[in-house]
Amino acid sequence: MTDVMNAKLSRFNPLSRIVCFDDFDHGLHGWTGLIGNYEKSLNAMLPEYRDLRPPMLSNGTMWDTGSAGSWDGTYAMKLATRPKAGGLAVAVKRQTWRFAGPIRLETYVTFKPEATEMELSELDVRAFGFLWDLQNAQDRVMPHLRYLNALNGERVSRWQLKKERETLADIGSSGKTMSHFHLAGTGWEDLPGESQIMCYNEIATKQNWHYMCVDFDLASMAFTGFQFNDRVFDVSQIAPMVMPAMANLWCMLNMVVFVETDCDKRAFLSVDSVLVSGEWD
Amino acid sequence: MRQSHTAIIERNISWQGVFETEPYEVAWASEAIFFVRTLEVSGNVEGTMARVQISPDGIRWCDEGTVMPLSGEIDGVTFGKVSHFGTFLRLVGKIPDGVTLTVIVALSLKE
Repeated sequence: MTDVMNAKLSRFNPLSRIVCFDDFDHGLHGWTGLIGNYEKSLNAMLPEYRDLRPPMLSNGTMWDTGSAGSWDGTYAMKLATRPKAGGLAVAVKRQTWRFAGPIRLETYVTFKPEATEMELSELDVRAFGFLWDLQNAQDRVMPHLRYLNALNGERVSRWQLKKERETLADIGSSGKTMSHFHLAGTGWEDLPGESQIMCYNEIATKQNWHYMCVDFDLASMAFTGFQFNDRVFDVSQIAPMVMPAMANLWCMLNMVVFVETDCDKRAFLSVDSVLVSGEWD
Repeated sequence: MRQSHTAIIERNISWQGVFETEPYEVAWASEAIFFVRTLEVSGNVEGTMARVQISPDGIRWCDEGTVMPLSGEIDGVTFGKVSHFGTFLRLVGKIPDGVTLTVIVALSLKE
């Protein structure tokens, strides 16, 4: 391994196999916008899926200080909502798994509202989060985690999970297509433990990067670990969202990141890099 | 090999009156094409133009100079080509009163 790669990887703690290492200084690496299912017409899509905003590559330009760049380079993957309360921006990367064992996602992220006001605006971003979208022979399993920063202008600062399912709707007339809006704001529960205050910083144009690590076991389909910066959460009692296996999703290993705005202002989530690793012989 | 990316910056959106696409960051790219495909149209959009805008911060905008027509035919595609545009791009315009234009907008970028 070269010294450069050591420097890139030493801030991660991967399992023995690297599934993917997405450094957004070199493109979007397969991360794309999320779209709802449809048949015949885009109008057949569930309304909540119609306008999820797609990712872009950002150099972190601010109106007052110029470009901040990313953790260790120029570009990060950025999600930006529309300036409308409840607006979501979502990116997905679609893979499959080949061994039902431990997987780990590590990433460096930062969130901020658009700096349209000379105010702190620390409660303008509602939430950001991550989910796996997985399937084995029995079940589709969707472990959701989000950091609920604020809700309706009130500080929350809690990590939450979602195991409650949303209604599954038939799409079109073929009988082959279904859809459920699993990112809905309903059904989220607090993760056990204390709230967590982020390094939001002191004005709207300063942003600090944070480390996140999510461990999951594809054999037991259970959370096995969750860490955000210095906080390690107890996930032994939490469960993912589970539903019967769906057609055409065998061995699915999808990853999703998202951000939601709490007011009529764009919310941003920037992702410097993503490292996914696993354990197999 | 040169990097490239196509972003769908609007999908199945119905424009009435003044429209503005969301800011899209393009600092890594040196050339861009906005493609607008008409999905549905109600009324006459003949002569209606969209304008490309650039911005220093994604918040304040000015016209870049490129204009492009919009199609009144289902599946009609129009385009506007730009280069040397800085960090942010968007497309703006005004649909005539009483007219609705439903479109999908692609932004094709290349290093």
